[in-house]
Amino acid sequence: MAVIVEVLGWGGRSQGHFRVDGPSVTIGRGYQNDVVLDDPYISANHLRLDATENGWQLTDLQSRNGVQVLKNSKTENSSSTVILEDGAEIKVGRRRLRILTDGHPVEPAKELHRLEQDLGRLNRLSIWLPLFLISLALDIGSLYASSFVEWQWKNHIFTILGSQAVVLMVALFWSLLGRFLRHERQFLSQYSLILSVGLIYTLLEWLIGVLSYNLSSSGVAMIMLPLLAMLLATLLLSANFALATNMLPRQRWISALGFVMLVIVVSISARMSEWGEFSPYPDYFADLQVPILQFSTAESTDDFIDSLDAVFAAADRKALD
Amino acid sequence: MSIYNETGLSLCARGFSRAVFILTFCLAWPLAVAAQSDSARALFADNKAGILQIRIIDLTSGSKSAIGSGFVVSDSGLIATNYHVVQMAAEKPDQYRIEYLSAEGELNHLKLVDVDVINDLALVKADSEMTPELPLAVAEPPIGMPVYALGNPLDLGLTVVPGTYNGVNQTSYHPRVHFTGSLNPGMSGGPTLNQAGEVVGVNVSTAGNQISFLVPVAALQQLITEYRVRGHEVDDIRQRIAQQLLADQDKKFTRLLALDWPTLALGEAVVANELKPFIKCWGGSNSASTKAQFLSADRTCRSEDNIYLNAKFNSGVIEHQFFWLQADQLNTVQFYAYYERLFSDFAPGNKGTEKDLGDYQCDNQFVRAESDLQSNRGRTTKVVFCARAYKEYPELYDIVFLQGTVDDSQAAFVSHFTLAGVSQKNAKAYARKFMGVSKWQ
Repeated sequence: MAVIVEVLGWGGRSQGHFRVDGPSVTIGRGYQNDVVLDDPYISANHLRLDATENGWQLTDLQSRNGVQVLKNSKTENSSSTVILEDGAEIKVGRRRLRILTDGHPVEPAKELHRLEQDLGRLNRLSIWLPLFLISLALDIGSLYASSFVEWQWKNHIFTILGSQAVVLMVALFWSLLGRFLRHERQFLSQYSLILSVGLIYTLLEWLIGVLSYNLSSSGVAMIMLPLLAMLLATLLLSANFALATNMLPRQRWISALGFVMLVIVVSISARMSEWGEFSPYPDYFADLQVPILQFSTAESTDDFIDSLDAVFAAADRKALD
Repeated sequence: MSIYNETGLSLCARGFSRAVFILTFCLAWPLAVAAQSDSARALFADNKAGILQIRIIDLTSGSKSAIGSGFVVSDSGLIATNYHVVQMAAEKPDQYRIEYLSAEGELNHLKLVDVDVINDLALVKADSEMTPELPLAVAEPPIGMPVYALGNPLDLGLTVVPGTYNGVNQTSYHPRVHFTGSLNPGMSGGPTLNQAGEVVGVNVSTAGNQISFLVPVAALQQLITEYRVRGHEVDDIRQRIAQQLLADQDKKFTRLLALDWPTLALGEAVVANELKPFIKCWGGSNSASTKAQFLSADRTCRSEDNIYLNAKFNSGVIEHQFFWLQADQLNTVQFYAYYERLFSDFAPGNKGTEKDLGDYQCDNQFVRAESDLQSNRGRTTKVVFCARAYKEYPELYDIVFLQGTVDDSQAAFVSHFTLAGVSQKNAKAYARKFMGVSKWQ
């Protein structure tokens, strides 16, 4: 019967394992051991495991720092002998080890989802670079379009660098998380994902702006923009999770949606105090678009004046509140 | 955007700061020395018994929370003062009481019997007879005549302030006498007398630096007559104010709307010019700025009529504002970015709080600014119309109107007005008239 000694890392994840055939296993820093661990807190000959009927008997070979048993052991009543069962965990020096039989069951293989495969293909410079250049151009372009004083690069360079740095940081965060949880950085994939969702949001936001301008209704944008932001944020988060974690699709969607909901609840409750507050200033829909984006037909002055009765009726109702 | 801010002259005891006291004292001292004339002395001696300090007493604390002045207009005990002096007691009779303190130190209760909120006047009545009654002048004094304002500035006791009568101000719809002399907080509601000792006006407000205003005595005469004809006090002050506001705006807007509004060019547009005596205008542009990337010229007009309703609520003001914009060095998108910012920045001309007003309700539409009524063609404009209702005074609204052209990529014309305390019918008629006069063809 072979013994598997698994070295555990951060979060109990396996960093590698030793397989030893035979009735006993020695563990220590010395090269004569079956399992050689490079840790200054481990003695040259630290411990020995001997196969018994019930598991492995642990013998501390008078090590300097001793052996700490963390999980799955039993102590035989008659003596101070410690018996480790399949799956036991011990701490030697600063290393955590798991002791298994070679017949120890493993989890069934996870299905590799198409989404993960497809998203993985984004991890290319040829995809990231155009996306990056487009979003940079859009960033600069929108700043330029909304500037009505003389354009000076020095006034805008920090705004531009700042927004790019935020995207970079977020991409780095996901990439590092992926490095830890999946041993896969996918940095460019994460970066490209964030950039493309940003581009889609900018485009749709603009379209909604044009639509609400033509409908003369701020309500359209007020409802559609948060919905759009919610939808895109959920999609993006779910994709980030897919690339950076081992979550199952269901877990991923629930986590993404849950996080977005949390953000919404927090932002709504932050604004709750302002609702229903009296304002001495009129809150009117002031959006303007360039003439070529104005499609809707204008009504006559007479029709407009006649339609004002509704405003007075609304003002009367508001004063009664 | 008035050149000066009129300040009510009632003195709030809580706001009586040492700094104000010292400043006013220093400024007033040389004047008092210079103006020691015989007539001032005589006027003071003859009339001091008829001029009273009016105090608003907070019933909970039992002490005065505001003071003003008043004077006897009938020996039956009728006393005139400003509405803004007694406003707190008019609004909350359960919380405040009105009292007078005579020059002899006599203290007694007063009852509010009538108000003229448009002219900021109030009549209060004592239980007992009061003398001497101050006679009201029948004829308006000539401009340049020395006159004397009396009252209790800053709770310092009865004071005479000499000054000059400068006639009825021609630039406000509600007539106000321009008095060149220093009125100070606490003198509100006191009389201004001519050399014969007749009342020529009631002290009401100051714009600082010796520019002060009086309510013409004719308005007081009218209020006394109305009170005498009725024969008893007004039962419901709030309803009386509501009727006065409604009647005043109706009269004002009927006159305004019947006028043929003069016009003036602003850029390629035509805008409404000054309307005497309703509104005065100023103008400006950014053409002096060397850094400007676009051209902006504006004209701003404002009425000087402010109806005091309470310390945080006034009404009656009319504002017009026009902007002519040209893209100049900006491209269309940049030009509209600036234009949008300008368009989003319009506010009402009067102040008010939740206690008195509902929130603004707004509508916006694309409206064709027809070049004439028959034509179906004209510029496409975006129009915003907002109204808020008065809670205490039904059928009255504040209006914010805004119209801007949206069909030219290199230029734009914005026209805007605000109205305060106007009926639905008059507001709609005003919008129609305004849109007909101010336009860019």
